[in-house]
Amino acid sequence: MSLAFSQPWGLLLGLLAIIPILKSGQPSKAYSSLAMLPEDPISSWMDWGLRLLAGLAALFMAIGIAGPYLREQWIEKIGTGAHIVLLVDRSSSMNENFSGTYLGGSSHESKSSIASKLLADFIDRRPQDLFAVVAFSAAPIYVLPLTQDHQAIRSAVLALGGRGHGITHIAPGLAMALEYFSGQPVTGSRIVLLVSDGAARMEPETADALRQIFQDEQSSLYWIYLRNLKGGKLTEAPKNPNESTTPEYYLHQYFQSLGIPYQAFEADNPKALQEAIAQVERLENRPLVYREKLPRQDLSGRCYAAALVCLMILIAFQTLEVKAWNL
Amino acid sequence: MSLIKAIGRHVQANSFAKYQLLTAALLLALCLAYPSLSLKRPVFRYLFVIDITQSMNASDYHQEGLPADRLGFVKASIRQALEKLPCGSEVGLGLFTTRNSQVLFEPLEICEHFPLISDVLEHIDWRMAWAADSHIARGLYSGLREAAARGVGTRLVFFSDGQQFPPESDTPPFDGQPGVVGGLIVGVGGNQPVPIPRLDKENRPIGFWEYVDLRDYLPPSAIPTDASSLYLTRLDESLLNQLAITSGLTYHRLETPEGLAQALQSPVLAAERVVAVDIRWMMALTALILFLMSRYASLPWDKLS
Repeated sequence: MSLAFSQPWGLLLGLLAIIPILKSGQPSKAYSSLAMLPEDPISSWMDWGLRLLAGLAALFMAIGIAGPYLREQWIEKIGTGAHIVLLVDRSSSMNENFSGTYLGGSSHESKSSIASKLLADFIDRRPQDLFAVVAFSAAPIYVLPLTQDHQAIRSAVLALGGRGHGITHIAPGLAMALEYFSGQPVTGSRIVLLVSDGAARMEPETADALRQIFQDEQSSLYWIYLRNLKGGKLTEAPKNPNESTTPEYYLHQYFQSLGIPYQAFEADNPKALQEAIAQVERLENRPLVYREKLPRQDLSGRCYAAALVCLMILIAFQTLEVKAWNL
Repeated sequence: MSLIKAIGRHVQANSFAKYQLLTAALLLALCLAYPSLSLKRPVFRYLFVIDITQSMNASDYHQEGLPADRLGFVKASIRQALEKLPCGSEVGLGLFTTRNSQVLFEPLEICEHFPLISDVLEHIDWRMAWAADSHIARGLYSGLREAAARGVGTRLVFFSDGQQFPPESDTPPFDGQPGVVGGLIVGVGGNQPVPIPRLDKENRPIGFWEYVDLRDYLPPSAIPTDASSLYLTRLDESLLNQLAITSGLTYHRLETPEGLAQALQSPVLAAERVVAVDIRWMMALTALILFLMSRYASLPWDKLS
């Protein structure tokens, strides 16, 4: 709970509340002999009550003008969801469509643009999840930290639909994605969602280091492999085993050997990609501690309402006033 | 009948105070309906594209409390400038290297998303480059295309030191229409040639770039006889100025964060947006004044009437 004012100078006006307390606003009446009137404690009490009420009215107006509001606050909730790092390939081959044809700069059917649209729908359907975005080609790019700011995530995922450049270099991307989890408390399931259309050979040392980090961070891995129609399948061993021509097969083998929850989805058309994303969605619905943002809450309306109530009472009393004693 | 008479007499008696009080109450009641005025205010929609090639690691800024290297200085300046732009303005970030500008995220409203934008800005690093060459004109043109794709009113702000690599004598022609996108080319660096640090993958300095390291990429005529001499860089203002003219952008030299903030708030680059302004406080203030005046009903002029 934290209170703040958008125009704090308005509070100074609150000092003016002293005026209606000192001045009752009741017109004085001529009367022949005040001394003849008996002391009437009820009348005095009522007079002071009305003065205080008037002071209160002025005070409420002043506070309302100062614009009090409760700051936006985060509340912790428990729901179902996950911490998901989107690790998305932005190499130049992502500019092609699924049959491997390059479609020109502004095409809407490139793998990257379809993936970006489907991922945007995916994050829209998961308001409780935290997302981070890493783009990678030759080097990984830190696009967004783990955040619940879905508008920002959306804007980053949509930007992924643009033209990509460079080669595919998966290992540093994985390392950066896992780095997001390091040093953070485990408050729900952790997922690296890799979306790529290929792989590259990994050095054995790098592979070993990554294996260690995967286990340390307790992260699961999903790989949505956007397979070119001519590309190799993950499950079919190549006829002439050679890691430089079919790195995808070997990467799949490596991921399976990591000892972490891992699943691969092959998608060689937009519909299969949609299906793969839907499957990830079904898998990841474990309890999660997440935070929800309550928007800034304006309180000046309540002050005006309170002031209005005071004024109404004052008006009501005013209509009861005696207009003149000596009719 | 007598009631109407009574009311009439009553209104006469202290009409002024009574009406002040009633008007005050009416104004407050109106406040509860949340009235607002639609006002036009200038806001900005920018795509910032930052050169992350290695010459941007060169240090030629000397200002207290600010990084000395060009990239660091750019990042710190943008951060400060963001705080000065009016809320409602939007900013997207992009990177330039080789021949291309790549957008990290679409323009986001700066006040609401400031912590996130500033976190991403902080992480921008030369190691994110997907290749090492630097063809500035092509990068700028691709930045202009990216900005144009983000809708009318999106301005490009392109930060670069103008250091081409490998050196190019001809500038590729601009195939767009000058001035359609609009924005700034921000020249980064100093006039004195400085060496370019060589950093390893962990960002540790391992010396400076020398001609001998680059001889495979440079034309033989560009290599001095003493090949071990340092490969130097300085802000190439003539190239950036020329690019600004052909593409219809304004050239701004980055000297201080304040200067950048000022250039970014130029009315020429602003778009007008209708913003709903809360006017309740003005009505409540009027109500307060009327109410206080009604308290002085017993002043002499009232008695006279």
